[in-house]
Amino acid sequence: MQENKAIEVSELTKKFGALTAVDNVSFDVAEGEFFGFLGPNGAGKTTLIRILTTLLKPTSGGAVVACCDVAKYPERVRREIGVVPQAMTSDLDLTGYENMDIYGRFYGMPSKERNERIGYLLELVGLTQRANDLVAAYSGGMRRRLEIARGLVHRPKLLFLDEPTIGLDPQSRQNIWGFLKKLMEGDRMTIFLTTHYMEEAEELCRRIAIIDSGRIVVMGSTEELKSQVPGNDSIVLTVDNINQELIVRMEKLPFVHKSSVEENKIRMSVDNGANNLPGLIDEARSSGAKVLSVSIHEQSLEDVFIHFTGKSIREEEARKVSFLVGAGIPRKWGR
Amino acid sequence: MTRLLAVIERDLKKFRRNPVVLAMSVLMPLIYLIIIGNSFQGKLKALPIVVIDEDTGPHSRRIVENLQAVAAGPETITILKMKDQQEALKGVREGKYKAALIIPSDFSRNVVLKSRPSVGLYLDNTDGISSETIRGTVEGAVRASGPEYVSIRETAGEVRMRDINLYGKVDYYQSLVPGVVIMAIFLGAMTTGAFNLVMDRFLGIDESYLLTPLSKAHIVSGLIISGLFITTLIAFFILMVSMMITGIPFSGEPGHWAAIFSVIILTTLGLLSMMFVIIGRINHPRIVGILSGFLNVILFFPSGAIYPVASFPGWLKTFAMINPEAYAVDALKSILFKGADLSSVSHDLAFLLVFTLVMMIVAISAFKRTVS
Repeated sequence: MQENKAIEVSELTKKFGALTAVDNVSFDVAEGEFFGFLGPNGAGKTTLIRILTTLLKPTSGGAVVACCDVAKYPERVRREIGVVPQAMTSDLDLTGYENMDIYGRFYGMPSKERNERIGYLLELVGLTQRANDLVAAYSGGMRRRLEIARGLVHRPKLLFLDEPTIGLDPQSRQNIWGFLKKLMEGDRMTIFLTTHYMEEAEELCRRIAIIDSGRIVVMGSTEELKSQVPGNDSIVLTVDNINQELIVRMEKLPFVHKSSVEENKIRMSVDNGANNLPGLIDEARSSGAKVLSVSIHEQSLEDVFIHFTGKSIREEEARKVSFLVGAGIPRKWGR
Repeated sequence: MTRLLAVIERDLKKFRRNPVVLAMSVLMPLIYLIIIGNSFQGKLKALPIVVIDEDTGPHSRRIVENLQAVAAGPETITILKMKDQQEALKGVREGKYKAALIIPSDFSRNVVLKSRPSVGLYLDNTDGISSETIRGTVEGAVRASGPEYVSIRETAGEVRMRDINLYGKVDYYQSLVPGVVIMAIFLGAMTTGAFNLVMDRFLGIDESYLLTPLSKAHIVSGLIISGLFITTLIAFFILMVSMMITGIPFSGEPGHWAAIFSVIILTTLGLLSMMFVIIGRINHPRIVGILSGFLNVILFFPSGAIYPVASFPGWLKTFAMINPEAYAVDALKSILFKGADLSSVSHDLAFLLVFTLVMMIVAISAFKRTVS
């Protein structure tokens, strides 16, 4: 069966001066799919989303979103999509209801339809009680929920979420995940999400692309990606001093598939971790190292990420700062 | 002490890393010096006066020569001779000349006969400062033309000058009202419209509506219209209050108010559109703050609200020709003090309309629909 494409990106590149923020990226997203872009801060996620949502023009390559090419027909694309930008963008001086109402009018929605839709969405995100309070009185989590609801007010076919839970506490995050799932089940909407939280991508997305330094490193469903990493558990051993001999001896163990070193931590992909852990510790001790701590967990997306990029997901932020006006602009220049 | 120093250092560092602000705060006061220095001179210069000499006798010629000496020496006035009295008065009413001096045909005869010779000076008294200066200058010229010695009993031979104020009395206080209203419009235009866009950009909120199907024209004209609403209300309030404070009589004529209404609306629209062109791409309110002070000075002082445009040096006069505030001040003065209606300020309104349209087109086409 031929699936309809909601997003088609081909050889997309975006350069800011010498910096290549998005480097020859190609991928498709099918209609009704929950697709995630996973990568560290500064990997190019926000730039990509800004190109797909018509806020930036690509340097080369193209993207078709919902109906049309983003560079050629940005106004048509804007009618079809809903976007929740990474920065909080609701108006603090307006109430939650007013924010949504005005947004609905930007899309030319008739008042009756608007009213019903807003009522439904506010209920969905649990803000009905606070609808008539100023957004200035909202917590970060409430504001984010309102913005997601606002992005849905005009019934978009396609929803873009740029780091929807960044900076939120675990409870607010669970809350948002909960209704995003509800949304997926109910409306068969296509959702495109970027995140640097492994759990978020794992919890929500059907298919994931891992992006690092502007390039797609690997793409596939969560299970596909996990199956590409040998072993089924991940063990992290923290020792007092790491030496080459220790690493070589660890890797020679039959149940150890792959190891990587970060500071004084050795991270290994292993089979059947619980059974093999004592053997591993004995081996480390006999090579003269003192084991400070051990952690074992089932392989997750994080291990997939490390497997493919050779490093754990890190916080890395580069901002373009204007020489002339200084750094006074609190805007994320995601690249 | 360490704490205090830390606060100071933090602030100074921020300032240093904002070179545009730094450069502007150095440059702008120097520009103020030039602008204010030239629009507020100690002495008035080049006030245009029309002289209609119907007499052309020896005595009238002496008055004209005296005036020409003033025009050539201290340059307080410039003189234009004319034959047609009606045309001259029309020119004064339209603001082309500041005064018309009329020397009647029997003047020289009356001087010789000592039968109360007199001249008439028609003054545009809506501009308090310049009309006083002209009165003094012309009076001096007329007195100096008379006989050097006039005995006390022979006052009948003394030349008298009848000065005729063309309009109701306008004191200095009242003459400032149009300027104050224009300044209220300026401040309104500065703090609404494009400034809200700069604030949205500064707070990163602009992204939310750039993502919607709103067009450039929707965003720009929407912000201009909401700014127009607020600013017009403020300007009217200021106008009413300052008319009450300075005692300018309220007229009951609807045409009068229609004219005031048109001037205020067109000036507001013009300034709001201009602000979009100037600050439409700025992303930091601090820069707007500095520009605001700067624009206020370079638009307000050369507008003729306080000192007459006629006295400005040539380059500043040229600037006044494209300064929307100069047209607004001129129109408001005509309406408030000369009882002008819509048709007699039509040239001012035409300029403001063209200015607004040009600025709005530039503002919309220069507006960026993408983030940088």
